Amino acid sequence: MTWDEVLRFARGPLFQVALLIFVGGMTYRLIRVLLLGWERDRVPAMGSKSVGVLKSYLKGILIWPFIPWVKDTFKRNPLIYVAGGLFHLGLFVVIFLGTAHMLVWKSLLGFGWPTLSLPIVDWMAAGAIVAMLALFINRLVNPVLRMISGPAEWLNWGVVFLPLVTGYIMTHHLWFGYTTLFSLHMLAVDLLLIYIPLSRISHFMFYFFSRTIHGTEYGKRGVMP
Amino acid sequence: MTKRETIQERLSRQGVGRREFFKLSSALAAFLSLPVRDGTRVLGVDTITPRPSLVRQVRHALETKPRVPLIWLEFQDCAGCTESISRSLSPTLTDLVLNTIDIEYQETLMAAAGTQAEAAKQAAMDKYAGQYLLVVEGSVTTKDGGVYCTVAGKANDALLKEAAQGAAAIIAVGNCASFGGIPAAAPAPTQGLGVDQVITDKPVINLPGCPGIPEVYTNTVVHYLVFGALPELDELNRPKSFYGVTIHDRCLRRPFYEAGKFAGSFDDEGYRKGYCLYKLGCKGPTTYNACASIRWMNGLSFPIQSGHPCLGCSQPGFWDGGGFYQGQSAPLERPDLLAIGAAAGSGLALGAAAAAANRAQKRRARTERNESGG
Amino acid sequence: MLATQEALNQFVEETGGWIASQLEACTRCGMCTEACHFYLSSGNPAYSPVWKMELLRRAYEGRFTLSGRLKLALGIEKPISDADLEVWRTIDYEACTLCNRCSQVCPMGIDIGSLIHGVRGALAAADMVPNDLEQATQKQIEDGSPLGVDLDTWKDRMDWIQDEWDVELPIDVQGADTMAVFTSIELMKFPSNIAYIARIMKAAGESWTISSKGREVVNFGLFEGNTEHTVLFLKRIFDAAQELGVKRVMVTECGHAYEALRWTSFNLMQVPEGLEVTHITGMLGEFLNAGRIKLKAGAMDDRPITFHDACKIQRKGGHIKEPRQILNILAPENFVEMTPNREEGICCGAGGGVISIKEADQKRYDAFELKIDQMDQIGAQRVAMACSNCRLQFTDCVQHFDLDWKVYGLSQMVAESLAE
Repeated sequence: MTWDEVLRFARGPLFQVALLIFVGGMTYRLIRVLLLGWERDRVPAMGSKSVGVLKSYLKGILIWPFIPWVKDTFKRNPLIYVAGGLFHLGLFVVIFLGTAHMLVWKSLLGFGWPTLSLPIVDWMAAGAIVAMLALFINRLVNPVLRMISGPAEWLNWGVVFLPLVTGYIMTHHLWFGYTTLFSLHMLAVDLLLIYIPLSRISHFMFYFFSRTIHGTEYGKRGVMP
Repeated sequence: MTKRETIQERLSRQGVGRREFFKLSSALAAFLSLPVRDGTRVLGVDTITPRPSLVRQVRHALETKPRVPLIWLEFQDCAGCTESISRSLSPTLTDLVLNTIDIEYQETLMAAAGTQAEAAKQAAMDKYAGQYLLVVEGSVTTKDGGVYCTVAGKANDALLKEAAQGAAAIIAVGNCASFGGIPAAAPAPTQGLGVDQVITDKPVINLPGCPGIPEVYTNTVVHYLVFGALPELDELNRPKSFYGVTIHDRCLRRPFYEAGKFAGSFDDEGYRKGYCLYKLGCKGPTTYNACASIRWMNGLSFPIQSGHPCLGCSQPGFWDGGGFYQGQSAPLERPDLLAIGAAAGSGLALGAAAAAANRAQKRRARTERNESGG
Repeated sequence: MLATQEALNQFVEETGGWIASQLEACTRCGMCTEACHFYLSSGNPAYSPVWKMELLRRAYEGRFTLSGRLKLALGIEKPISDADLEVWRTIDYEACTLCNRCSQVCPMGIDIGSLIHGVRGALAAADMVPNDLEQATQKQIEDGSPLGVDLDTWKDRMDWIQDEWDVELPIDVQGADTMAVFTSIELMKFPSNIAYIARIMKAAGESWTISSKGREVVNFGLFEGNTEHTVLFLKRIFDAAQELGVKRVMVTECGHAYEALRWTSFNLMQVPEGLEVTHITGMLGEFLNAGRIKLKAGAMDDRPITFHDACKIQRKGGHIKEPRQILNILAPENFVEMTPNREEGICCGAGGGVISIKEADQKRYDAFELKIDQMDQIGAQRVAMACSNCRLQFTDCVQHFDLDWKVYGLSQMVAESLAE
């Protein structure tokens, strides 16, 4: 089988299957949690729940990644904050603001949007790769992380790292042929799509649960100055 | 067999002087696209500057070898590759025919027709058995006994196999002969095949393109003539000298790609400024061909330069490559909304079932606790 | 295996969408660890908040998810054992104060403190509550107070306070507006607090009472994680409030009691219709803003003074502005904030029942060293707080570490600085 054929398979039928598994799997995870039973909160609120939710999201997305030093815990372990933030920012920029990926969204959604130039996206991708390596080493070395990490955590890292690094090598035409790397990249992406609903990478969906719950709780209690 | 007259002898007989002969040798050598030095590549690329010894080699070949007999078969084709080679300017087809090759059979170009043409072919195959170059244009079909493409009542695959038997070398010109081309594109009612899917016991050089670049055709023939062997081939059996780099790697608009300046539509500002055509569906990054280096019309231009995204026509299956105007990074097919809906639906159903089972567990746990007195 | 089964049942029963969605959100990033004072002071990775709620995750995944069940079947995960319960009893009761600081730093916003409390609930169902805690709870069930202060002792004590501080303590007054519920910690360890609060209520002209039936605001059932006991203790207060026909119940200087009465009770039981629940800290703010009490400006301004944020009154109670309002009046030049503060403040190390458990003493002292660092950093030797459990920890540690500090209660400062 030539790399050309691998590429057509990975971009074609395998991608379709991976997409279906992703959609079906994530829906399953969502519904399983959504229908598990939610109790009505009868506690009278002291502050506004909705303001709490709004502030929680703003703090989480806007302040958190960019001004980590508002939290005392940053000083105690800057690595997790910086590397974690850099990784997520890089990933976000690459996936949504990189031209090549925007075209994928366009084909799936029917509309596209303006993107950033390649050098910027490239540096963000490089930053994300470096951050991932730092996080990997940290997880190996830090006694707490070693204790709470199982095979799932290592797999999560690998399955996310592969598309990132193959994409980078591919864009830079570093080693092997472009078609080869493109095929590997697509295979890695297909693996990621299939793996997400089976793993904690799905946390990006549950983020909206935990953040909203957090904002509601603290808004209710009038905390969130 | 009588000794055949060499090319140089023939040229001399026709009044082509020594100086002219030298020029021809140099010209041919130049377009063989061979490495500058043995075993090294400059910047990873085969340049087209010939070594002095190479010119000598070409000259020697012309001095000692007779013209190569060539049989050109056409099957499920559009004759576009014939049209292409006849536009070659370096060397011209005329030059080629006059100087280096001896076309024994070519349906589009030859004057003869019908039984006369077929007889000429048979005679050539007999006379030059083991020596002739077989060029194939158009894809082969074996479906239903090959009945969808017949010449003189014979099925195309039989014709091909027959001609391949006595061929010294087989060249498949164009995407159809190389990989199946248009007849292999979905829904492929005749299931078009490439030559090397039918002829599996002899090496086949693929010179894909839709059509291929004229100079690629002519110079591959010259290569065979000069060296008596096939050039170095890649994994798809294409000569590395012409198919070794991608369009993307030689494209004049590459700096725009790197800077992220793209044309968004066929008449927007970016397009008029000549920005990169990646967003308009250019397949340059995965397409191996010489369009961006040798270019077309004797180096005049090539699709991207003229403002059209590369179709990827030298790659297998390019017709089914996801749409000519869809970005290359996009998946090959638009996801079937019905399938996605079904997937989401099953996720929903299974999730609801799981949640129900879990809720039942909770109820059982509460009952057990109440029973045990909590 | 019986104990474990009970625990598992409790896990299963209490896990609904609220818990499940948060468990699903955890990515094992470990950031919560850096916020936990027990981890920071000891370096023991087992004190990591995410690890403290590990049993809940295992129970959830092992019972409610396909992958979890598969992992159990394949032996990748082990079923929860009796030995596990022993380990988690130690770390969840002795090395966690349920301060919820971890919830603040979690990038996903997971309410880790509540989830750890869920683990306590399961441990309680399995009869795995630490001895000291269980005994104290038993005393509260029988005598009405974890310190064993029964009704007679209580009455005597209240009389003595009235005499000693020359205050009027209105007991069982029918139809008063506000019913103040004190803690037996205040009663026995900081009795002046009751007098001070009485003084403030009088100065503010509040119509108030204390109930002899609903006399204990501390809730050891909450520490245990035992819903039945929690509700029992809450009911005493609410029944008393209903009997006396008051409009509002005021929790005095106790943290977790506020958590139980104000933020948990409504979801556990029927709270009397229209009854308000408030905290003395909140009322102080109200009184000040309405001009019902006036403070002597600069009354405590001679040396630097700081404020210790109590986890359940500030971080989880929302009364962050009021103490600062008060201290800015009393010490406008010398009030300094600790770093970190407010909802990110560091726990005193003694809440959540930890101070009642002897085995946890060393952990509690280790954790307090973080507070010492905070105080040293700002050069303060005077600190005020609104929770008497924190105050108990601070005074105990001042003695243990031989510190040259003065520890104030918020109500104490206000009462001593009333301007008339």
